[in-house]
Amino acid sequence: MLSFIDIIKRAEEGPKVDEKEFDLKWVYNNVKELVKEYDIKYNPEELIVTSEDFINNVFEAGFQLALRTGIYVVEYRSVIKFSEEEIKEGIKTARAQLVVGEGADSRILYSRKIEDQRAPFIMGGHAGAPYPDDLYFVSALSYMQEPIIDGINHGGIAVVNGLDVRTRSPLEALAAIKELMYLREAARIAGRPGIHLLAAESGVTAIGDLAAINSEYGLRKTDAHLVPVLNEMKTDWDRLIKAIVFKIRGGINCSLVDPVIGGFFGGPAGVAIGFIASFLLSRLVYQADYYIIHPIHNKWVSTSVPEGLWVLSTVGQAMSKHTNFILMGDVWTSNGAGSQEIFWEIVANTITNVVTGSHPLGVSATNGKYPHASGLETRFMGEVAHASIKLSRREANEIVKIFLKKYHPEKTEKPNIGKPIYELYDVKTMRPRDWWLNIYKQAVKEVAEYGIKIA
Amino acid sequence: MYKSLLEKDPDCRNLYDSIIKGDIDSSDIYAKSLVNKYEPVDIIQECMSPAMKTVGEMFERLEIFLPEVIAAADAFEAAMKHVGPKLEAFRQVAPRRGKVVIGTIQGDIHDLGKNIVALMLKANGFEVYDLGKDVPVHKFVEKAEEVKADIIAVSVLLSTSLPFVKDLIKLLKERNLRDKYILMVGGGAVTREWATEVGADGYGENASEAVRAAIELLQRKR
Repeated sequence: MLSFIDIIKRAEEGPKVDEKEFDLKWVYNNVKELVKEYDIKYNPEELIVTSEDFINNVFEAGFQLALRTGIYVVEYRSVIKFSEEEIKEGIKTARAQLVVGEGADSRILYSRKIEDQRAPFIMGGHAGAPYPDDLYFVSALSYMQEPIIDGINHGGIAVVNGLDVRTRSPLEALAAIKELMYLREAARIAGRPGIHLLAAESGVTAIGDLAAINSEYGLRKTDAHLVPVLNEMKTDWDRLIKAIVFKIRGGINCSLVDPVIGGFFGGPAGVAIGFIASFLLSRLVYQADYYIIHPIHNKWVSTSVPEGLWVLSTVGQAMSKHTNFILMGDVWTSNGAGSQEIFWEIVANTITNVVTGSHPLGVSATNGKYPHASGLETRFMGEVAHASIKLSRREANEIVKIFLKKYHPEKTEKPNIGKPIYELYDVKTMRPRDWWLNIYKQAVKEVAEYGIKIA
Repeated sequence: MYKSLLEKDPDCRNLYDSIIKGDIDSSDIYAKSLVNKYEPVDIIQECMSPAMKTVGEMFERLEIFLPEVIAAADAFEAAMKHVGPKLEAFRQVAPRRGKVVIGTIQGDIHDLGKNIVALMLKANGFEVYDLGKDVPVHKFVEKAEEVKADIIAVSVLLSTSLPFVKDLIKLLKERNLRDKYILMVGGGAVTREWATEVGADGYGENASEAVRAAIELLQRKR
C-alpha cells in the first residue's frame, strides 16, 4: 500500500490542472461516458435494486472512474493518479472488521453484506448539526443513554460561552476540545465510558481536529474522525493533515463522501459511480477505515428522498459485494424530532441501508440545520434496523415505497421542523415527554403493520 | 395577434436552443444575426432569458445537471458578447434585472451550492459577479461598490463561518452602506430564523427560493 509520503510526492509531481477543467472534463466527462458505457440508469420504481449484473456494472464503472480520473488536490492544483494494481491493493488491504470503542463498550464494526442478517452497528447522534455549548451536553446525553446505540456521531459546538466559533480561529480548537469533553462526560454519566466516538465535528479545519486528539479526554485510538472527500473527487491540505496525523497516532479515519445529486457527477446514476470511485480513492489517499454514504439532493438535501435512497442502496450493494469496506448509510431527514413525519423518513431510509450492506448513521433531523433532535428517534432508527435484517431486498423495496409516499414530496417540500431538546425531554430526568413518547409509540405500532416488529 | 420573437424568427428559436444545449458557437452565430434585426432588450427578453429559465427548471427536475447549466450560462454569455454592447445604449430604459455580488464567505471552501445559485440568478437575468470561495468580508463590499451592485449574496455551509456574515453586516454599517445593498444569505448552515436575527434582507432555502427572493426584494426596493 502507498505511504502518505508517496501520496504527497504524487500530489507535488502530478499533472497540473485548472479546477474548473477538472470538474468538467476529468470528472463529468468521464462520468458521462461511464454511465453510458455501463448502461446505468436510475429507476424510481426499484429503489432497492436486485439485479446482480447491474450492481456489478456500477462497481466496475466506479472502479474505472477512479482509475481514469484520480483525485484533485486543491492547493497543488494537481491530480494524483493511481494504477489498477494500486486501487486493487487498496481494496485487498481494507479491514473487514474493526474493534471500536474500549472495554465493555467496545464493539465489532464489520463490513455488512447484502441482505446480511447480523445485527447492524447503530451509529447514533445528530450528525452534522451545530449546537451551542449549553445544549450540547444534554443533547449528547439523550443518545448516550440509549443502549441500542453502539457509537456516537453527534454534531459540533458552534457557540462557546456565548462566542460564535470561527473557522481557523482559536475558538475552533476550544470548541473541538469542549465537544470531546462533553461527549466523554455524557458517556461516563450514561455508564458507557468507552463508547466509540466519531467526533471532533466542531473542527472543520485541521486545527480543531488536532486539538481534540487526546487519550484522556479527547479522541482516542479507538475513536474515529471524519475525513471528507471534497466535492467532487478532491482533497486539500487540511483533509490530508487530518488523515495523516490521526492515522499516525493510531486512530481511525472515516471517509465521508457527500456529492450533490445534480452536481458534477450528474444524476443518481453518475453519483452512484462517483461514490464508488471516491471511496476507492479515499482508501488510498486517507488510508480510510470506514466509509459514509451521504448523497445530497440538489433541492431537498435529505437522504430519504427517492434519488437518495436509490443511491444509498446501489452504492451499498456495489461496495459490499465487491469489497470488504465497512459502510455507513446516513439517515438525514427533512423533518425534525417532535414530528410524526420524521419516523416515516427513518423507516424508509433505515431499511434501505440495512438490507443493502450499510450500517445506519443518524438521525440527522432537519438535515442537521436546527438543534431539533433527540435520542428517542435514534432509538427508533436502531429498532427498525434490528427488526428489518430478515427482509429481502424485494420486500424492503415495497415497504420503503409505502413509507416514502407518506412524506414525499409534501413533507420534504414543507417539513415539520419539530422542537428543541428542552421541549422534547424533561431534562431533569432525561426522559422524553409523554406527548413525544406517544408519537414514537404510534410509529412503533404503525411500522409493525408492515412486518417490522419492534420488541 | 402578437407573435413573440421565439415564434416568428427561427434565429431566435435557434439561439434559444443553442443556449439550452450549451452550444457556444451556435449561440454566437445566432446572436450575431439577431442584433442586426432587433433591439437588444427584445433579444434578451424573448430569446435568451426564456432559455435560461428553461435550463433552471430542467436542473431542478434533474433532467440536466450542473455542468450543463454551466455550459448554458457560457452560451448565454457568448450571445451577450454581441447583444451586450448594444444593450448599453438601452440600459437606462431596460436594465438587466439587477447586479449581484456573490461568494462563499471567509473560512468556507464549499462552493457547489453557491455556484448553483449564481447560475440560477444568471439564468433569471441578473448580472452576477462571482467572487468564489473563502472570500474575505471586505472583498464583498469592495466589489459591490466597484460594480454598483444591487444585491450582496453570501453562501455559508459551515457554521463556523457564520460569524463572518455578522462581520460583513457590521462592516456595511460602519461604512454607512447597509441600506445601499440588499443582503441575502443561504447555504447549509443558515436557517431562516438566523437570517432574520442577523438582519439579512433575504434568505434562500434552495436555489429557486434564492432567485424568487432576489426578484421580490429588488422589485420592492425599486
